[in-house]
Amino acid sequence: MRHTPFRWYSRLTPWVFVLPTVIGLLIFKLLPIVSALYLSFTEWSLIGSPLFVKLGNYAELLSSEAFIRIVRNTIQFSVVYVIGSMVVGLALAVLINVQIRGIAFFRAAIYLPVVTSAVAVGIIWNWMLGPTYGVINNLIEAVGLTPPYWLADMKLALNTVAIVQVWKMSGYYMIIFLAGLQNINSDVLDSARVDGASSLQSFFRITLPMMISTLFFVLTITIIDSFKNFELIYAMTKGGPQNASNTLVYDVYLNAFVYYRIGYASAIAYVLFFIVGLMTIFNFYIRRHFVESMD
Amino acid sequence: MKKLVTLLVVLLAIASLFGAGVKDTQASSGPITLEWWTWDPTMQEENQQIIAQFERQNPGVKVNNTIIGTSEYWTKIRIQANQNKLPDVFTMSSGYIEEWAKDGLLYNLDSFVQKDDTFDIFYKSIFDTNKAISNTDSYYAIPFALVTTVLYYNKDAFDAANLAYPTDAWTWNDFRNAAKKLTIDKNGDGKIDQWGYWFYGRYAHIEPWIYANGGRLLDRTTMRFSPDKNAMDAMKMLTDLVLVDKVAPAPKDMSAFQQQDVFPQGVAAMWVDGSWFVDTFRKKLGNDMRWGIVRVPSGPGGTNTLTYGWPDSYALAPNTKHPEMAWKFARFVAGEGIGLDTYMAGKIPSAKKLATDPLFSDPNQQPGKDMDLLIEQAAGPMTTSYSMGWSEWRGYGGSEALGLNGMIDAIVNSLMSFDEAFKKSADSINTVLKRLYK
Repeated sequence: MRHTPFRWYSRLTPWVFVLPTVIGLLIFKLLPIVSALYLSFTEWSLIGSPLFVKLGNYAELLSSEAFIRIVRNTIQFSVVYVIGSMVVGLALAVLINVQIRGIAFFRAAIYLPVVTSAVAVGIIWNWMLGPTYGVINNLIEAVGLTPPYWLADMKLALNTVAIVQVWKMSGYYMIIFLAGLQNINSDVLDSARVDGASSLQSFFRITLPMMISTLFFVLTITIIDSFKNFELIYAMTKGGPQNASNTLVYDVYLNAFVYYRIGYASAIAYVLFFIVGLMTIFNFYIRRHFVESMD
Repeated sequence: MKKLVTLLVVLLAIASLFGAGVKDTQASSGPITLEWWTWDPTMQEENQQIIAQFERQNPGVKVNNTIIGTSEYWTKIRIQANQNKLPDVFTMSSGYIEEWAKDGLLYNLDSFVQKDDTFDIFYKSIFDTNKAISNTDSYYAIPFALVTTVLYYNKDAFDAANLAYPTDAWTWNDFRNAAKKLTIDKNGDGKIDQWGYWFYGRYAHIEPWIYANGGRLLDRTTMRFSPDKNAMDAMKMLTDLVLVDKVAPAPKDMSAFQQQDVFPQGVAAMWVDGSWFVDTFRKKLGNDMRWGIVRVPSGPGGTNTLTYGWPDSYALAPNTKHPEMAWKFARFVAGEGIGLDTYMAGKIPSAKKLATDPLFSDPNQQPGKDMDLLIEQAAGPMTTSYSMGWSEWRGYGGSEALGLNGMIDAIVNSLMSFDEAFKKSADSINTVLKRLYK
């Protein structure tokens, strides 16, 4: 008897498989996104019905000095984090891209902060950066310098938290860069060496250009990750001093879950959405004009 | 056809009678289920014991306890309120009573309070504090415990400095003089090892001094931030401790500490905060350090008999189907039917029989007879600065670095002058209050 493959198949079959995910996405992603857009035009404390205030929340945001500062902080945090993570992640990947005894230990050790709780990381760094007993300030004092107030100085607090976030996450990007490095054909590098290229020349003229897809991928995910800074800010500065380390994500939390200003928090979330949207367009631009041509 | 219609009418009549009968039976003698929401996960076992005891005394009543951690409690219970599904009895914070009472989300308890022997069993002063916090003339919550603020002092440090222990009669000058003598560089390295006092912009660190000086932060008639001269004097005295007297560290110097660890670790010899830290110190310190509690020193403008204290309470859902039983259970769990062992040390039971239990001031545990102070405070006048939007304008929890808290920190961390900080505070705080009190 001839067996007919896929007898059970009909045009609806793929939809049956996709449906659970689609329903999940609609209920848990799309619906909240659309609801948040509506809520951003309302005043609502979770109690009672939302009160429609038209563009009131957006008008309040744009006229708030604190909010302008928070947007600036968010962008500053993002720039420090993206540049820091890419440079440190790549440097670590190059350093550990060697076959020596015990290298697995170093790879694991560098990766460890990635899987450590952000709150624990924040508390430990708070201790290390402490002005009186912190090991970092004690070391600075030991060489005769006056250490700064890392988390209490309005000019330093945001960058300090961003750098701690870089420290925490670099191991993750290191692994991605490492995969990129190991995909490079060693023959090309060997040829360059035979032709007299120095290590630096090989790195900048061969390794980096050949890793452009990886670099672009890491750039994309670091930009996305740069906005996920709630936990460390909560553990280290709570947005202080005087909003100096407050970012859009932390401000959404404050307004939604401390002040219960759901409408205002939704408006902030949409400003964040707008900024992330701009970054995404920028990403596509880079991809189209640089990455694809170099690939 | 006629027979059929007649039959239908008879059947309908029987059905409606039966239905009414069933309904009546359910209303009169059916089991009652009460939903009880609380926010302390460590109390699960105790809560089950309380329920078992209540159910034994009230056959036909079943109580379900739902415990939600404090970080999620308010979001979840607000959603319940939004859906008209509030539990019959639930834990209520002083910080939200006004907002919830205004929004009609709390059962008005006046009829129960007046009808029952409530004030024979509970401290009226604590109920009245709740009434004042609600900004109405009614009782909307039944307090189960009161927390107050006190001055903690390290007896070992006082002995080492050859100083007499603080008393309730202390003035600001007595306090400042002691703080100066207790600020010590023990190893001569030019750094202070023991500070006389420790505070930052936290509500429990600032307001007790304001009220002990007869001051106020809010003008309750206009509901605007308008600290009077006594309040400003108290805050100036405190900030001067850091900037002028140099007997207290700037918060930026203590950033590596959890704020509640500075005093028990011996880094500061005196500290003002909530009475619940009695429990923390008993558990953490044991007898490693000898310590005591007294009233916050009186300022020149007032007297320290006015206490900064606030109750933790239970409230009833406005649409509870069993208000009498919910009230009975709330009274029971607020102290009438439970033991002192279910209370965190330093939280003052609102039920008189528990507060006057000799074990409350257990002489075998620190601070011994000093605990009597808490009972005195519970019976005396109390005040708070709670209002709608308090977390936002005061700077509390996740917003601790902002609001008034952040401004006071900015002064003592030398980021802003006193005058500049209070000008900015008045603007930003009143923006919040104007939004909520139009």
